[in-house]
Formats: sequence, C-alpha cells, structure tokens
Amino acid sequence: MTPQAPWRPSRRTFVRNMCIGGLATFGAPLVSFAQVRQSGRFVFVLLRGGFDGLAAVVPYGDPAYQSLRGTLAFDEGELVALNDVFGLAPGLAPLKELWDHRELVVIHAMAIPYRTRSHFDGQAILETGIDRPAGAADGWLNRLLQVMPGQRSGIAIASGLPRSMSGTFDVQTWSPTQLGAVDDDYLGRLATLYRGDSALHGRFEAAMQQQETVGEEPMAGQNARRGGIAPLMRAAARILRQETGPNIAEVEFSGWDTHANQGLAGGALDRLLGQLAEGLVTLRTEMGPAWSNTTVVVMTEFGRTARPNGTRGTDHGTAGAGFLLGPRIARSRVFADWPGLGDGALFEGRDVKPTLDTRAVLKAAIAGTFDLTPGQADRVFPSSEAVRGAYDLMG
Amino acid sequence: MDAALHALNRFGLGARIGERQRITDPKAWLRRQLDGGPPVIQAPPAATPAAVTAAIRAFRGPARQPPQQRQQLRRALVEIGAQESIAALTMRVTSDRPFVERLVAFWSNHLCVSTAAKVLVVPLAGAYEREAIRPHVLGRFEELVLASAKHPAMLVYLDNFQSIGPGSRGAQRGRGRRGLNENYARELMELHTLGVNGGYTQQDVQELAKILTGWTVGGLQSGGPRLRGSASAEAEIGFGFLDLLHEPGTRTVLGVKYADAGVEQGERVIRDLCRHPSTATFVATKLVTHFVADDPPPAAVDRIARVFRTTGGDLRAVSAALIDLPEGWADGPKKFRTPQDWLVAVLRAVDAPAVNAMTPPVLRQLRHPLWAPQSPKGFGDTMSDWADPDSLLNRAELARTLARRLRDARLDAAALLDVIDAGSAGSLRTLLKDTAIPAGDRVALAIAGPAFQWR
Repeated sequence: MTPQAPWRPSRRTFVRNMCIGGLATFGAPLVSFAQVRQSGRFVFVLLRGGFDGLAAVVPYGDPAYQSLRGTLAFDEGELVALNDVFGLAPGLAPLKELWDHRELVVIHAMAIPYRTRSHFDGQAILETGIDRPAGAADGWLNRLLQVMPGQRSGIAIASGLPRSMSGTFDVQTWSPTQLGAVDDDYLGRLATLYRGDSALHGRFEAAMQQQETVGEEPMAGQNARRGGIAPLMRAAARILRQETGPNIAEVEFSGWDTHANQGLAGGALDRLLGQLAEGLVTLRTEMGPAWSNTTVVVMTEFGRTARPNGTRGTDHGTAGAGFLLGPRIARSRVFADWPGLGDGALFEGRDVKPTLDTRAVLKAAIAGTFDLTPGQADRVFPSSEAVRGAYDLMG
Repeated sequence: MDAALHALNRFGLGARIGERQRITDPKAWLRRQLDGGPPVIQAPPAATPAAVTAAIRAFRGPARQPPQQRQQLRRALVEIGAQESIAALTMRVTSDRPFVERLVAFWSNHLCVSTAAKVLVVPLAGAYEREAIRPHVLGRFEELVLASAKHPAMLVYLDNFQSIGPGSRGAQRGRGRRGLNENYARELMELHTLGVNGGYTQQDVQELAKILTGWTVGGLQSGGPRLRGSASAEAEIGFGFLDLLHEPGTRTVLGVKYADAGVEQGERVIRDLCRHPSTATFVATKLVTHFVADDPPPAAVDRIARVFRTTGGDLRAVSAALIDLPEGWADGPKKFRTPQDWLVAVLRAVDAPAVNAMTPPVLRQLRHPLWAPQSPKGFGDTMSDWADPDSLLNRAELARTLARRLRDARLDAAALLDVIDAGSAGSLRTLLKDTAIPAGDRVALAIAGPAFQWR
C-alpha cells in the first residue's frame, strides 16, 4: 500500500482539468446542458412525513386556537405576524425577508385530493399528481417535463429517484457524497475506462461535471444531514443557476412526522422549521440573478391533528400549510379559505378541513414559471380539469 | 464472447474467479440448475413465525405507548428484517444455482412488497420471499400468484387485509369505519397479471376487490375484534378468510361470472387472470427484458409467451425456454447491472462466504434497498432506471471502500479479469497489471469500471 499523499487536488480541480472538451460528448437527452433555453426555474420542496401546518403557520387569531392547541399553542408575541389571523412560527422568522420583498405566499387549509392518513398513499398522491392511489403512475414533475415545451431537464436532489420525478422523461439525480472525497488519480483512470464505453461514457462525464458544479463544501453525508436542508439547497442552486442548467429540481426534507414532543419555540419542530427557512433563504441567495426567474413550492403529504396527542405531538391529519415563493408571484399574501378551528369546523372532528387542492397551487406555480396555458397545466395533472389553477397567485 | 462467462453473468448472478473454466456446456449448466425444487432458506432465529407474531403483536399493542418503548418495539421489527435481508443476500452470494436465485429475485420484484410503505411489512418481507415466492419460481405461475395473494406481507402491503365488503355483515356492524379497498385488486391486474393495457376496466377492479374481501390476516393481535371468527386468537400470523367481511354475491370480472363460493371465488378468478393471454404477454415481456435486452425483441417475447400459454404457466418450462432464446446469447446490447446485481456480483467474484450487516445499508445507499421499492411496480429493470450519472459516481466511490476491505483478502486485481468480459476491457487489462497503481485502486477500477457494470 502506498502511503497517503499529504495533499491531493480536490475532485473539483481534477474535474475541471479533465473535463475540457468532455462536454461535447455528453449523451443527450440525459444531459443536455448546452441546449436548454427555458429561463424559468422551478424547485419543488417535498417535506416528507406530514408537516404540522398549525405549528408552522399559526392561526393565532382564530378564537378556538388557544384552547384547541393546548400545550402546543404559541403565545402571540412569539410569532411573526402576517395579518390578524396568521403568524409564522419563530423558526420561520427568516422568511419575513421574503414576505417583505413580495416573494412569499403562505398557504393554509390545503390538502391533496384524496383523503388518507397514510404516509405512503399521501406521498404517492402528492408525487404522482393524480387523485387516487395508482400503482404505476409517473411523477407529476416528470409529466411536467413531458408536457412543457422547449429544452428542459430535471434533477432530483435526493438519495434516490423520488416518485415525483420518476417516469418516461430521463432525469438526473444528485446527492451528497457519502463516502468522502475520492482520489483524483483513481477517478482519472476510471474516466479513461469509461471513455471506451459508448453507452456509459456521457453519463460518467456528466457525473463529474455535476460534482464540479456543486463543489465539495460541507457535503459529506453526515454534515449534510446535520446541516438540514441548506446544503442541499445550495447544491440545487448551483446546478439550477447555470444558464444551461436544469429547469426543474426536486429537493426532499424528511423528519416531519412529529408524533411526540414536538415542542414550541426552540423545540424539535421549531428547529426543523428553522432549517427549512434557512434552506429557502440559502436557495434565494445562491441562485443569484437567476432567482428572478425562480419559483419554489413547499408541500407535504398531509397536515396533522389539530389537537395535541398524548405524547405532546400530533398525529396524521388532513389539511395543512405550504409555501409558494419567488419573485414571479403576484405579491406576498396568506392564501387560505380558512375553515376555522371551532366546534364542527374540523374535518372528521380532528383535522383542519381542506378547502384548497394542492393541484390548484401547483398548476399556478408551473404555469407562471414556464408560461404554460391552463390546458397544459391540466395535462400535468390528469383528470383534474375541475380543479382550476389559482392563477392569480402569480404575477 | 465467452459463452460460459455470459451464462454466469447474464443468467447467473456473476462469475467467481476461476468458475468459467469449469463450465464446459453453458446451457447444460443452466438447465441443470432448474432440476429439483428451489433451494430453501430457513427462517432466521428472530424471524420464526412465533417470534414474528410476538414482535408484531407487541408493536401493535396498546395505542398509546411512551415513545421510547415504541422505538424499542419498532427496533425489534427492524431486527427481524435485518436478519432476513442477510439470509436472503447470503443465499444470492453463495448459491451454486445462481440462475434460480436470479429468478427468485425477479419474481420477488415482479410481485413486490415494500418495507418502505408500512412498518408492518418490515418483519414480513423476508418471509414473503422465502414462503410465497421462492418455493414457486419453478412451479406454476398461478400457484406463485396465489401464494403471494395469501401472504400476510402482500395482504398488509396493498391493504387487502382491511378491505371490507360494503354489503358484508362486518360492514353493517362496523358503522362504516372502513370499507372496500381496491388497492390490491388493481395491482393484481395491472402489475401482477394482465398488465396496464391488459383489457380490464375500473368496473373489473371493483368487482375483483369485492371478490377478495374477507382475504385478511389472522393473528395480528390477541383476540382483537377484527379477527374474531378466524383462527384462534393465539394462532401465528397467517392468511385468514373472514366470511364476516366478505361481500356476498355473484360477480363479473372480464366478462366471466363468479358465483359466491367464499375464498374459492377469489381463487378461481386469480387462476383465470393468470391464464389470460394478456398475462402471458405481459410476463413474457418482463422476462425477456430482464434476460435479453431493455428493448425486448418481439420474436423472443412471442416465443416465451407461447411457452407460458401452452404449458399453463409452467415456470420451469418458461425458464428453460429463456436459456434457449438465441437473442439471449447474441452479441447485442447488454443488460446494465442493477445495484443489487452489481454488489452481489462483486461479492461472488471474490467468493465471499456470507454477507454482513453492512450490506443492506450499502444497497440502500445505492438506491436499491432489498424489498423496499417506492411503488408496487417494483424496481426498474433497465439501464435508464439505474445508470444515471450520480449512481455511476456512487458506485465508483463505493468500489473504493469495498476494495479496501477486499484488499485484506490479498486479492490480486488482475485475477478479476477472469470474471469480466475482456473483449471490451483492453485498457482495463493494462491498468490492472500496472503495479505502479495502488493494489486497492486496481481492485476498485475493476469493479467500478464500465465492463463490470454489464451482465
């Protein structure tokens, strides 16, 4: 065994050196960086686990709030008030800057079009964009790529191709390196071997190109997990902001299944919200000038029970909150047909009642970002013609 | 092309060093593997029926448990899954009938359950493969599908265990808390038998779902109300038909009338679905895609479908016919190894005696965890499913970690050329013999290089 060299060039410098001329051989359509002309960028942030809308976007002005929420009720003074009814949880305070810049729509009482309290079914519905569980349907982001015109490509910032991106349109994936930096001599030799394989050559070069784009900063798996979603958002931004980069990214953030001890200000859930807010702000910063064409949607598979459970947490519920962000929205606002928390207002006596279909928001977001017609947006969500896009959310 | 190496890699699970020289007649070597019943895997210690039953009942016990205790009970389920995974992977790595093991993996994925969907599937998925899939991969297709339909893992995974006929006595008593669940009925037709274009309607799905009401799981809890009337409350977890939940009446599926005959009504319709011409074509297409090419040649699909039909779905005959497909041996496009295939091939190449507890997490990292596909469709089986840039890089990085471990076994990297199709590996040959390159890197280059990614 040879002793480890005291210094090695980073993978980034290595890739830069060896990729000269490599771009020309990339296999389209897998990686067609050089052909994309769409200026719009869309990021779908999927909060897996059922994110507690009432803990994030707090209806402090609802007369039933304090008594219903009990041990999980915030004091008004802790919140970032948005209007007389709603305030953001303390962890989400960094989003105030977007709110002030007319870049944040806060959505409430929103749910997928199918009533389920199963993570599996709920995520399947949200990710396929159809209104009932169906085994083999494509993801809605993949369908968007199939439907939208012009040069386009998608990337999942996830440790596996998520359902929302799966389908007949070829998409890329990127995840933080989990095994530490790899020696450049080794990668160089490997690249030589891949050059002799016509089917895989373009893909291998693309992998190293992506790696170069993203860089090597705090990306080792453990750090990425500890740092929440911000490192993933930074990576997404670096990939998306290139003029010829992908237009659509899916970023995942799990850990929202707060059945126990979710806490209040500074508690477990609030820290998670803090990471989410930091991630969104990071994305905005890192996108640079490309932010002006970027739209972000944050959604989850279901909200949680209105009342705390016996373990100071909440159980699987129905409607919840979400966010629509970016300069292309019409203005900052709370978008909710608020059903209230009073007696008889809850869905099945336990959850926030759904008054808005996730697809209405998604249709508006993609139409506004990619200049789609309502007809095109409808095609992304089969059998959804009855659900009109909330098009006035976008400018 | 070396036919022995091709048989080992394409039909088997990867060649061991020195193995190809021992195979004189590759097709005969494959055919011999089809003799006799499939190899048996005994339940691991934590996964005996009694142990699984106890662990699941404890987990499903009182609804309100302190989080810590719940964590502990969940961990017991995970431990069962871990032992099952290691047993299953060890068989794949060490079997002397790798063709049969490939078939087990294929059918297990075709009729997949997923531990990602429900925690209750975690302790059942290994048993599902051992009990419902493995014994039938050389038997009749309809027995395979029936075994799958009646296994607790499938009943739980696709919700049939809590599907209740709206007109059943149970529904009238149960104040409508639960009702008909079409999930399994739909996937049975769409993914397991006819295929999505197999000629069924939503009406057929509903009718089939009603026929299958009452097919449930007994023993999930001690004497719970839902299970009264099935086997005794203390029985181990297993299939139970509960007439109480069964939708009475004659039903029509694909134009055929099925008189109500309790559990037999469902058995009859499943057998008919398995014998339907669409099923032969659908299954043949998947098999040819797996053994021949991502773009399955129509002639090969026709031939396999015909064997499937004429033998009444005899999977031993169908498997033998796969060996005899000329397209399977042509110098055409190859099959890209899935992550599971890749890792198993690495471990077989070096004749690993078993897999350890690190293997399942590695498969997770490679996005191909055992028994945990994202949807009932199962994992994809083509290059476009697996050869994305990030995955190639993942393999490259993982190869180095593996190589560090293999180096302890004093493995000579050049020896790995014996398990790789050298026709496409001229520069690899040079690199693996270059002693200026660290030995560990050479092993990593062999298993991360493009030639090793194909079978």
